[in-house]
Amino acid sequence: MEKHLKSLLLLFFIIGSFLSFSQESDNLKKPENNSPINLYALFSIGITNPIYRDFATSPLFYEGIGIEISRTWMKRSEERERIFGIGFGISFQTARIPESDFIQPGSIAGFGKFDLFYQELWKLDILSDNKNNTKIGGAILTTQNVRGNPDLQNNTLGLENISNIMASAQWTRDITRTETKQLNFWIWKPNLNPVKRDLRFLLNVGVLNFNYRPGYAYAYDSELIGMETNPVEWAFSNYKWSMNGWRIKTHLEYIKYLPKGNARSWSYVWEAAHTPGKFEDFQMASHQLRYTIYFNSNKR
Amino acid sequence: MKYIVLIASVLLFTSCEKVLFKKDMGSRDPLDNFDYLWNEVDKKYSYFKLKNIDWDQMKDTYRPMLNKNSTETELFSVLASMLNELRDDHTNLISPFNVSQYNVALTGAKNYRARTIDEFYLADPWRTGALKHDFLSNDEVGYIRYSSFMSNFSDAQMDLVLDHYKDTKGIILDLRENGGGSIFNIPKLLGRFVNSKTLVGYSITRNGEEHNAFGEKESFYITPHGNVQYLKPVVVLIDKGSYSATTFFAVATKAFPNITLIGDATGGGGGLPNGGQLPNGWTYRFSISQLLDLNENNYAENGVPADINAAFDWNDLETDEILEKGILEITD
Repeated sequence: MEKHLKSLLLLFFIIGSFLSFSQESDNLKKPENNSPINLYALFSIGITNPIYRDFATSPLFYEGIGIEISRTWMKRSEERERIFGIGFGISFQTARIPESDFIQPGSIAGFGKFDLFYQELWKLDILSDNKNNTKIGGAILTTQNVRGNPDLQNNTLGLENISNIMASAQWTRDITRTETKQLNFWIWKPNLNPVKRDLRFLLNVGVLNFNYRPGYAYAYDSELIGMETNPVEWAFSNYKWSMNGWRIKTHLEYIKYLPKGNARSWSYVWEAAHTPGKFEDFQMASHQLRYTIYFNSNKR
Repeated sequence: MKYIVLIASVLLFTSCEKVLFKKDMGSRDPLDNFDYLWNEVDKKYSYFKLKNIDWDQMKDTYRPMLNKNSTETELFSVLASMLNELRDDHTNLISPFNVSQYNVALTGAKNYRARTIDEFYLADPWRTGALKHDFLSNDEVGYIRYSSFMSNFSDAQMDLVLDHYKDTKGIILDLRENGGGSIFNIPKLLGRFVNSKTLVGYSITRNGEEHNAFGEKESFYITPHGNVQYLKPVVVLIDKGSYSATTFFAVATKAFPNITLIGDATGGGGGLPNGGQLPNGWTYRFSISQLLDLNENNYAENGVPADINAAFDWNDLETDEILEKGILEITD
């Protein structure tokens, strides 16, 4: 009996250990199945409507139209998201000049913008469920503007750097269509097939806001050392860093996933910044309609 | 439907920079434009003290000439008159129908006639980049005319010109009526006539609201430049039309014993002009810095005096007395 009991215990431990192993194996697999880590390469192009005003040279708003392109690397799971992106934009603006009853003045400016963006987000369980995923975290956004307005003569070139450490919050709503749906437009009744879709809203708010702006006089006769003078250093020599102002960026995106894990999206990106600098304020905002292709680069 | 409402709400919320920014300051109101320009000049103009200008007095004088119903031409006339009180050709008001100018050159006699030189002095001039040049006085003197510091020449072109005149006794560099241009063309040209890095002057720029608030001195060095140097005597011809970058050039020559200024004092323009825009869209500029010589004297704005004074005699259009004086200085 004792021998049988020992054999039974041995069998129990062996089976138990196998069962434990199986359970652990399931535990490892489950998050992988429910929360896969997706690596995406994103390519975006957008039409933008930048607005800016540099009080150092003009009290007028300049607004116009341009394009922005960006390349982003994204690592995303249910639990965490990491993004690094670079962007470039070019646009042309006209001054918002009051209407003249004599001869209307006009000013045309060019505006180039270079962005670097890094963001990390973590899931906030309390605000997440099967349909909603909320993440919070932080981001670093740095923007270098290069502006040109020949009407401003020696102040033609406008350069500023706006760099921000931002608090970030992102809400993603799963709006997947699970069943075929038929639309009814009287004589046209198209079928909409099931598709995985997300609606995503990202908010970045500057917490620490830095800017690099010209000195008091904007243009300077800086040190000249013959032909060895570097024109870029000469132009920047009286620039100063300040920590002030604010910056907000929002990104509303509709993402439609494709069968192989790729996706495409339409989004509206709004951004506004105010940089008092040390002497005179600079303000800018932009509204962008953006189209993005997500290439899923997971190795399966 | 609920997503459409959500999206619309977000778009509405995130399009509110107009609420976040200060109000649009565009204005046609003559008094708004007067006050804006007066304040900008008050904050940044660099020669109030040197020229003994009471800017508050200018406001008291000119502002009452305007009211909310003043026409654009009336506004232009008043603003231009106020700016001309600064006696500075780096100060202009630019509208679609007129540009204001003090016109320093008219405060002195005209001392340059291009046709006299072309017809009676230059036998076979070359035009190399922006430089017109020829031999004078039986090939003893090289003559180089540079009419604007806005115009460029390459290092290779300058090498060729100076090599062409390497056997002369001296060179005459004619900068009369050269109204200025790029500051970077000064060391490019002057660097051909020096053999060592030399401090030639300083500039100071407004850095505060007080009229005498200036930042630290910024040094201005000339260094040898190019493959061909010319270290024999150089005469630089100047007049009241020699302005801005040419005044910088003239101040810098004071540091070199081999360079002599002949003619009339330059017109000035020692301050770097900025640029800006009024609430009605017109643009303006005015000086925001001062040029100092090696001894930190500030005379450049009123004109750099010639080392040897000479004047053009308009009764004899076949002779350029200033050029003759230059030739004599080199050959005598």
